[in-house]
Amino acid sequence: MLFNSLHFLIFFPIVTLLYYLLEHKYRWILLFVASTYFYSAFYLPYIFILYFIIIIDYVCGILIENSKNKAKLFWLLLSIISNIGLLAYFKYYNFFVDVFVAYLPNIKHLDILLPIGLSFHTFQSLSYTIEVYKGNQKAEKHIGYFANYVLFFPQMVAGPIERYDSLGKELRSNHVFKFENISNGLKLILYGLFVKMCIADNLAPLVNEFYSNPTQFYSSSAWLALVAFSIQIYADFYGYSTIAIGAARLLGINLMDNFKQPYFATSFYQFWQRWHISLTTWFRNYVFFPMGGSYVNDFRWVINVLLVFSLSGFWHGANYTFILWGFLHGLFYLIEKVFSKFIPISIGKNKIFLAIGIFSTFILVTFIWVFFRAENLDKAILVLKQCFTYSSNATKELIFSYQTIVMLVVLIFIEVLIYKSRFDTFLQNQKISVRWAIYILLAFCLLLFSGIQSYQFIYFQF
Amino acid sequence: MKKLFYKLCVTLVIGPMCIYVSNIIYTKYFYKKDLELFDAKMLLQLDSLQYNSDVLYFAESSNGTAANSDTCLLSISQMMDTLSPLKINAIEHGAVHAKTFLHLIQNIKSDAKVKTIIVTLNSRSFGAPWINSKLETNISQANVLYENKWPIYKRIKLILNAYDNQSVQLRDLKLEKNWSNDFLNVSKEFPYKTVRQWDNAMANGTYLLPNGDWDLPKITLACHYIKTYAFSIDTLNNPRIKDFDEIVTVAKQKNLKLIFHLLAENVQYADSLVGKELHHIMQENKQLLMDRYSRKGAIVVNSFDLVNGKDFIDQDWTTEHYNQNGRWLLAKNVLKQIK
Repeated sequence: MLFNSLHFLIFFPIVTLLYYLLEHKYRWILLFVASTYFYSAFYLPYIFILYFIIIIDYVCGILIENSKNKAKLFWLLLSIISNIGLLAYFKYYNFFVDVFVAYLPNIKHLDILLPIGLSFHTFQSLSYTIEVYKGNQKAEKHIGYFANYVLFFPQMVAGPIERYDSLGKELRSNHVFKFENISNGLKLILYGLFVKMCIADNLAPLVNEFYSNPTQFYSSSAWLALVAFSIQIYADFYGYSTIAIGAARLLGINLMDNFKQPYFATSFYQFWQRWHISLTTWFRNYVFFPMGGSYVNDFRWVINVLLVFSLSGFWHGANYTFILWGFLHGLFYLIEKVFSKFIPISIGKNKIFLAIGIFSTFILVTFIWVFFRAENLDKAILVLKQCFTYSSNATKELIFSYQTIVMLVVLIFIEVLIYKSRFDTFLQNQKISVRWAIYILLAFCLLLFSGIQSYQFIYFQF
Repeated sequence: MKKLFYKLCVTLVIGPMCIYVSNIIYTKYFYKKDLELFDAKMLLQLDSLQYNSDVLYFAESSNGTAANSDTCLLSISQMMDTLSPLKINAIEHGAVHAKTFLHLIQNIKSDAKVKTIIVTLNSRSFGAPWINSKLETNISQANVLYENKWPIYKRIKLILNAYDNQSVQLRDLKLEKNWSNDFLNVSKEFPYKTVRQWDNAMANGTYLLPNGDWDLPKITLACHYIKTYAFSIDTLNNPRIKDFDEIVTVAKQKNLKLIFHLLAENVQYADSLVGKELHHIMQENKQLLMDRYSRKGAIVVNSFDLVNGKDFIDQDWTTEHYNQNGRWLLAKNVLKQIK
């Protein structure tokens, strides 16, 4: 079920109403049924994959807690292999067939649908068994609460990737009806819908048009398309996360923030502290630290950084383009680390220097997004060439409608306003007239200027 | 609670006001652009034609597609218009189906001049390939714009994905499921009970062409005929049945004379390429549609077997595109029912 659908508009108020009408001890049943229904709306049979993950990790969690040494490790490995095995089968099988086709000519591609959000719920569930193994988390004995941790519908298909110590606690708490939760939740949903529908969905057709045949476009348009995709992917994912956080908030449940104005980052290091925060911390805690983190020699550290970034790229999609996207982020992160040693701290705080940092980070990130968006490496190189060379075939300009430009101005305006807070907390401190002016502005934007063609949330495919 | 109630009251006043104002702005400045974007221009055609036509012919590409060799390029409706004293106009668009026609008919005003409507009844549109077609999402989007509702209401429906918005992969999956699981209405002796079994047998040479040939291009075409026409209409669940049933109801409510034109299919080629079993299935479907809609009070013009195989424009595919001979035949056949 999509957040920006009539289906959700009917489903969610009913769930919220029942949630507050029910006694706390029965709410897990409601959330379980609602989450199952929410996911089944995409494709019913795949709910059983999630049930499989739940059962495996629930059982492994208990067995890990009750075992020692090798047995403990065995149950952890079983959980890891089961989760990664599912990912490997559904998401990476065809990629590996392509890679090894020369050695295994008789193996054929699988013609199956990729379960929506599989990478998200496997990672979320895995973090639980790893934490139980490390002794930081007690195993959950109530399968209902554990199931809701994996299934919780606002964030199950595209995050934020929560940890059991926070979401588990939230799910167990008795949330009483509070006006503040309803109000803040609705504000976040409204803003999330605006960002997704008025920004991402208006930029999508422009970006798609360009990427379908980049050589048709002048180099100035190629630059514009690259910037448009940078904003589109941000708006798409940030919009989704904001709606997810808002929807959970309506139920009294707090989810972690997944974005903190990443395009205002002055460096790659900062960018990754502000972009898809839940995934960054996942890779940091469960891949980078176990590899030794920063407590290794320089050579190992460089390899570790590149490996973790490349893996995070591969997490996004089974394609060389995603691996290269991650690798390039790692590379620039390392280059930046080396150069930063030579820059005095006083210069680093200079406003002009910060502005240059924001600009250069944005431009580099924008170029690297090409590998994320292009279907293959050839297309990515073609797109980059188009930015720098004169093409005699070019006949087209990428034209932004005035509605899209107005929407972008509104987005930038609001993002600057909420730079140091979040949309809901920012509005809380405003006068009633300002608040309502913003609500009405966003409502008009949604009604009149939202993209009318449907584009699924980009991160659903991961 | 009190605060929430107060806010709810304010929202209930401001919300509808926003929608009302948005409707005015949207209708004036953006609506036509969206109709063009979704290729839903038949609505604009209908706005003018319903006031200067006696008969409206609702059709897909079967009406106007002409062969390169045709000397007469008139569409079926134009041919009918030349032969009839009545003013006959067409509301047409390629690759649409009954749901679109239903919405358009709902848009006919009570003061319109038009008193008779002819709707093409395309038997192929009842089959799984059309129902699960990749085009269905676009058709469904356009259908929202064809609804007889406030423009802003239609826009809200579109932005909230309140239409058949399934992915292409899901549609393909459903199609394959239909082909593999739906049993065909064939004799007990016939070894292939589903489209998939029949198609595989044909493709692998287990089931040869009726003349015993192993002609690859012909086999490809024969497979296509099987996949297109080998289906039995489930009157309880087929969405097209529901659409045509509703057309009958709406026509009655609007006091319009309703004629269904059962389009010609290339029965000759189906027979010679695949054999009597497919011919039998096609005839069963034809009979079902004729009986059902005659019983419901519509006039059904039967053109199903009227056109010779060679008079179909597409000789290597299944379409309802006819050359001028075919179109004249159909025009004259329909005209018999218009008095």
